[in-house]
Amino acid sequence: MKSSQVLCIGLITTLLSAGLFGQQSTVYISVLSTKLFVVGAANPETGLYYKKTGDTTWHHAGAKNIRAFGLAVHTPSKGSFVCIASGNGVHRSTDGGATWKITTGWEITEVLSVVVDKSDPKFILCATPYGVYRTLDGGTTWKECNNGIKEKFTSSIVIDHKNNNVLYCATEDGVYRSDNRGDSWQRTGMGVGSVCVVVQNPKEPNILVAGTNDRGIYITRNAGKYWEKTEAGLDHLTFYAIAYDPTNPQVLYAGGYVSGIYKSTDGGVSWTRKNEGLTNLNVHSLAVDPTNGNRVFVGTQWGGIFQSDNAGDTWYNIGLNGSQVWTISVQPF
Amino acid sequence: MKHTILMLLLIALSQQAGAQVPDRDTYLKGFEQRVAYVTSIYDTMQTAGYYQIAVRYAHNKDIAGADKMFAELLRDPRGDMFWMIPSMGAYLHGKDKMSAETRALVRNAWKTYAPYRGDTENHWCMYYSALYLAAEQWPNLPGPEWYNGKSSDENLREAREYLIHWIKITTTIGQGEFDSPDYFPEYAMPMVLLSHFAKDPEMKTRGTMMADYIFADFATEHLDGQYIGGYSRIYQPAVYKPLLSGASAFAYLYFGTGTPTNSGWIVIPALCNYRLPHIIYSIALDRSSTIIEKERKRVRNVIRFGTEKNPPVYKYTYITKDYGIGSLQGGILQPIQQHTWGVRYTYGRPYTTIFGLHPYWSGTEVGMFFPEEVKTLIADVVASKGTYNNPDKWTGGSPYERTFQHRNTLLVLYDIVPGTTTEHIDGFFPRNLEERTVDPSGWIICKAGDTYVGWYPLQEYEWKEEIENPANTLNEIGRPQLERVKETGNWRLRSHKRQNGYVIEVRSKDEIGSFEQFKAGLQKHIPKATLLPGKVSLQYKNLGGDMMEFAFPDKRVLNGKAVDLSKTRLFDGPFLSADVGSEKLTMTYKRKTRVLDFKAVKITE
Repeated sequence: MKSSQVLCIGLITTLLSAGLFGQQSTVYISVLSTKLFVVGAANPETGLYYKKTGDTTWHHAGAKNIRAFGLAVHTPSKGSFVCIASGNGVHRSTDGGATWKITTGWEITEVLSVVVDKSDPKFILCATPYGVYRTLDGGTTWKECNNGIKEKFTSSIVIDHKNNNVLYCATEDGVYRSDNRGDSWQRTGMGVGSVCVVVQNPKEPNILVAGTNDRGIYITRNAGKYWEKTEAGLDHLTFYAIAYDPTNPQVLYAGGYVSGIYKSTDGGVSWTRKNEGLTNLNVHSLAVDPTNGNRVFVGTQWGGIFQSDNAGDTWYNIGLNGSQVWTISVQPF
Repeated sequence: MKHTILMLLLIALSQQAGAQVPDRDTYLKGFEQRVAYVTSIYDTMQTAGYYQIAVRYAHNKDIAGADKMFAELLRDPRGDMFWMIPSMGAYLHGKDKMSAETRALVRNAWKTYAPYRGDTENHWCMYYSALYLAAEQWPNLPGPEWYNGKSSDENLREAREYLIHWIKITTTIGQGEFDSPDYFPEYAMPMVLLSHFAKDPEMKTRGTMMADYIFADFATEHLDGQYIGGYSRIYQPAVYKPLLSGASAFAYLYFGTGTPTNSGWIVIPALCNYRLPHIIYSIALDRSSTIIEKERKRVRNVIRFGTEKNPPVYKYTYITKDYGIGSLQGGILQPIQQHTWGVRYTYGRPYTTIFGLHPYWSGTEVGMFFPEEVKTLIADVVASKGTYNNPDKWTGGSPYERTFQHRNTLLVLYDIVPGTTTEHIDGFFPRNLEERTVDPSGWIICKAGDTYVGWYPLQEYEWKEEIENPANTLNEIGRPQLERVKETGNWRLRSHKRQNGYVIEVRSKDEIGSFEQFKAGLQKHIPKATLLPGKVSLQYKNLGGDMMEFAFPDKRVLNGKAVDLSKTRLFDGPFLSADVGSEKLTMTYKRKTRVLDFKAVKITE
């Protein structure tokens, strides 16, 4: 290979990693609060923020003080919408955040996360301290669906990307699975109590990874039948966030209570700490840019949001200092 | 025969003397005088505030000034449900007097400002009461005209559903944030507003009935402006200066007791047309007979570390004209501000109380009730409740604390596991007691006017004088302390033994005679305790001759018979009666009754 060809390839790689040549994305985050949150007080602005590649500042959309825990962004070529999971319920905007409607009623409160089925966007689920709720009509009506769940506190839900009848949820009593869109649930084979997060391998739907309170990270390769604890390289036990690199499912990131970031390049078998530049190790959210696997985002508790452009080797703060960034979603545009 | 008639006459006269219940006309006259006092400073106060606005409109005074204040405040609305209720109250009192521009500004605020709904019952009660009233005021508007994107009809329906749900659970399994001296206003204000302003006659009746309900609940456990007993939530300093609580402000306005106050909490209610029924203030004021009140309440929604959403709370209260002693069964029943037991009396304002606790905090406790991550919740809580993780705090429940009360005798036991956030228990003894003597028998014997309190510690202890903490002290994140941690000159009993407990005996002069007689009685009644890890128990024959046997955590035996708290009714006392699941409260005072039937939405007298 001639040196000019090497230079050219190198330049293209650099441009790609810099977000050029169509690698444009929008980072959406939900800011739960700052340290100063008090119900009824003059709290600082929180809620949904977003930033497009190249933007220098964060833009706010929607209500400013609603305890925004989670978010979900549905971005087809037509009919895109954004959902916020908040203390006030599930908010939905179909006009890019200009106007919003709370789709849920009084029964659904303190919503911790919301997920939208990509193939059927009227099928939306939300996780709450009172269990799982779903809508099949895009939010017009919601129904509690906790049949079979012993301890209802639920913080995370997965809709199987190959079969949307299959769901998984992370509860205080382990990971549960439903084969009928939430009509009923069965506890999977994980003998662990409090599970904070469950994520699915972007290619292999039978592989799921769960982060727990005090018990580390577990992996199943058979859709929840058996779970094995992954320990190699992990010095922490509480994990609130796990994210796959959508461009390479062998790569995962995990973070949690004072853990900073761990990275695995072998599908979760072993882990390495990656904290250079990460000045707040209380991690609560993670996302990898689907347009560029080197670009990773970390949301912290009271330390704002950090970005890496080199797959976690180094991090730098990109704003919202002092805030709790509960959830991150990165979408191409 | 003559002798019997004379005796009956004397009893009747003494009851009359003790009752101090004004007739209706006298009460209403006094009430109007108190309304005038409460509101008097607000129509001239120049700082902008919703109470100032409401009073100006209600008094038809300085309407332009009220409009100007409204405009100023609505430039940047804030406060969530604590904005919704007072701003809606101000609007309703002035909507026919304010300018068209001001009306438009208020309407616009409900379109553009999105309040947080909150995470607990008082938040939801205020939020939905205000939203209900707003949706009635502005009917037939489409979703984009409201902050939440819902139409007037949708908002009205949702608010109505929540309020009916709240009323139903409260009248079937008990109130959640029950009997809270500091959160009483958050329920009374919205109910009084609904009673006055709801357009729907049924909701108006519901508002009136629920106002009656919570006032009756307070009335039966009221003494001299104070809420008596165990509580779901109370802050420092009201825990040791009882008349500083919001409920005491309501006691001043509605019962005419306590001390005159211009507290903002009672301004909007004072302007409303809700009037306490005669029977409720009679219950509040008549202390001619001893009251033994048993109640069942409900734990705030448990979301972690338990499968029962609202376990029962059992409350026992004993009240005379001089004092009251009350308790909850112990354990964690509410986060952060629980008050498990206390004695309060009429002597010695402002420090009219003696109580004890195990100062406990944990991620588990707050994780039971708050949805954020357990490991970081304490930091979240401390941001607004600065004393939560302070080992010297004076509020909070503990999983290692249990009580057993029979009449005016209380047994309290602790079995604290090693490594718990604090391994000591504390007792509060106010500085203004006439006597606080440690008797050779082991009893600590106190005199507060005509109330005598005996405290028998089961383990060794020490005394510490409370040192003043300056009001401008900052907490660990640099915010001013919301609560003063300590007060000068009061006394703290501290015992560092994990297996621990005490016996409390309270009597009045009327009940036992002189203080010396009380002392002599206590000296003959010494508890027998077993204090080993996992095996903590107590046997005690009280001053009344009743044998109480108590084993931690929940074995209670009275005179050889097991006490079954699970049979406790919603209200069971001389004035209030309600069964679990009934949706009905019957008030009785002398020959009068008032029945609140929430199923039928009907009041019967």
